[in-house]
Amino acid sequence: MCEASVARKHGGMHNLIEARSLFKDFGPTRALRGVDLAVAPGESVAIMGPSGSGKTTLLHCLAGIERPGAGEVLLRTTAGVVEVAALSDRRRSELRRTTFGFVFQQGLLLPELTAGENVALPLLLLGQGRSDAEAEALRLLQLLGISDKATARIGELSGGQQQRVAIARAQAAQPAVVFADEPTGALDSVTSTEVMTALLASTVGSGRALIVVTHDAGVAARCDRTLHMADGVIVETSGVAERAQAEAS
Amino acid sequence: MTTLALARLFARRAGGDASTVVLPAVAFAVVTLCTTVVTGGVFAFFTFAGQNGSTYRMLALLALVLLVIPLASLGGAAARLAARRRDERLSSLRLLGASTGLVSALTVLESTVVALAGAVIGAIASLGALPLFGLLHFDGRALGGAIWPPAWVFFAVIGGVALLSAVSAAIGLRAVVLTPLGVRTRVVSAGVKWLRAGIAAGVLVIAVAISSSLNAFAQIGGLILVIAVLLCGFGAVLSMLGLVGPLVLRGFGRRWLKRASGPAQLIAARTVLHDVKGAWRQVGALALVSFVAVFTGIGVAFTHVMGSEDAASRLLAADIRTGVILTLVMSFAMVACAIGVNQAAGILDRRSLYVSLDRIGMPFTVMDSARRRAVLAPLLVVTVGSATAAALVLFPLTGYTLLLQPLGLAVIAGCLALGIGLVWAGLAATRPVLRRVVGEASATLPDR
Repeated sequence: MCEASVARKHGGMHNLIEARSLFKDFGPTRALRGVDLAVAPGESVAIMGPSGSGKTTLLHCLAGIERPGAGEVLLRTTAGVVEVAALSDRRRSELRRTTFGFVFQQGLLLPELTAGENVALPLLLLGQGRSDAEAEALRLLQLLGISDKATARIGELSGGQQQRVAIARAQAAQPAVVFADEPTGALDSVTSTEVMTALLASTVGSGRALIVVTHDAGVAARCDRTLHMADGVIVETSGVAERAQAEAS
Repeated sequence: MTTLALARLFARRAGGDASTVVLPAVAFAVVTLCTTVVTGGVFAFFTFAGQNGSTYRMLALLALVLLVIPLASLGGAAARLAARRRDERLSSLRLLGASTGLVSALTVLESTVVALAGAVIGAIASLGALPLFGLLHFDGRALGGAIWPPAWVFFAVIGGVALLSAVSAAIGLRAVVLTPLGVRTRVVSAGVKWLRAGIAAGVLVIAVAISSSLNAFAQIGGLILVIAVLLCGFGAVLSMLGLVGPLVLRGFGRRWLKRASGPAQLIAARTVLHDVKGAWRQVGALALVSFVAVFTGIGVAFTHVMGSEDAASRLLAADIRTGVILTLVMSFAMVACAIGVNQAAGILDRRSLYVSLDRIGMPFTVMDSARRRAVLAPLLVVTVGSATAAALVLFPLTGYTLLLQPLGLAVIAGCLALGIGLVWAGLAATRPVLRRVVGEASATLPDR
């Protein structure tokens, strides 16, 4: 389906990103079985579930890393609504550079580069000049309280500092949606809380959507909504209202 | 018993990642093949009698010296690859409480078995290659059966390759044994010492002084003494290159980093600076080849002048030319193979990182370009630097060549172009590995 026709068909879409009836198979294993999901701008959504429940596959389908076998992923952009799965590999790669940000469990930063250069990398990929990109990287690191580490190598940083660098990198291109896959999975509880605070402040706090895959109920509790997955389907959704009600009772 | 049980378990599991076994095995096979052929060649030349017999033996030893370094470089790359691909798993074993002895034994056992398998394949391949090399003519006749070394050489080479692997694996995994988390921590490599520059400068001065006195040596001891002196000077300059190479690369890397504007250039420059010694190891052997190329060009001109005497001298000159070309081709092949092995190992070791870069939207071309630049830029620096050093060492002969035999310069340019082309081909050959790793997102999905 071409982008123009997608835009006409979904012109009235208000959410930032939507998944409709997503199915995904890996050989004989069905990882997703008709998942529906909608995320609004400035909303944070946690996806929880046991290993093998399909949460990472859902994240990858939403981010255009994997193509769903059936169903569609719609993204609202300034140019209209785009069906992510219908785009070519090159266009999806471009979308990940310009519109999405990523934070991984291990940071996965380039060890050869300094912290500042890692943060500047997405901007360099977008064609920005090196001095401007590094200045913006320094600003982002400053917001996360680690500007003094801008010239440090990744191997010289603690796990928490590395994740902050990864968060800064995910913000560099000012993405509409940030995807985080177990962003605190390798951190202790105190550092985990600090990193999650930084992640929420730099995404939801700036009007961006945040979609987090996590095993940590503490991380999920800080998001607006939590989706619980099992065997490739969303089996339960809990949100702020439900939690407030539960706490009241 | 525990070691064998674990080794068997890992061997069965290795089927999922065949590259862990196949890459080092292929590299060890190439090392064995080349070593056997070179040794066969040396044995063949030692059967030569007559007035030129001692000259041929000297030239055979010279070729051996030339080939030992790229051969050792390839062997080292294969051994590091065999050990490195296991360090993470062994580190986990150490964390689970495996003893130092168990981890060491497992490492040595696994690497040695892979090396043995590769060496046997290489030895079998050499049975097919030796007759082809036997077709080469030296001293007016084909090498023929003379190129076949005694049977014990085959076993000695196989044993030597296995030993090289075992020692390299044991040394390479000291970090795992000492600190289980060592392999996870990529510490910045130790800097190169400026003392090296001083030593190198001294060596260069001595080498220049020796080569400037070649006429005097020729008058005292004839051609043999000249070749012996050249051999010593050559060895000295090779040592100098090894000492000064990392320093030169560091200086180059710093200037490159300042100028880098795009992501590929930035990553490539930082890659060189992050591990200058590693960058040198990767291209250092080709610095040697470019050094040889200069020798070749000048040598061709020199032997051409010698060829104007009697028939035996003309024959010797033609044989030297053949030997030099043969040595170069083998050196190029080994260097390209070593770079291919290093690159493939590097890509596989950084699998998760490449996948993550793809996910943040880095185009494949940028990843590939950064990787290629990190090899090719230092390569250009060291080839030009080494060629200059060789020309300086042979300064008087270089001048003659420029004036009397410009063909020598064409040979130099051709050899350098061939070397760079082969490295480029070696890099290109690993491009599909990178493409597979990036495309293989499912392999890194911990959770469906």
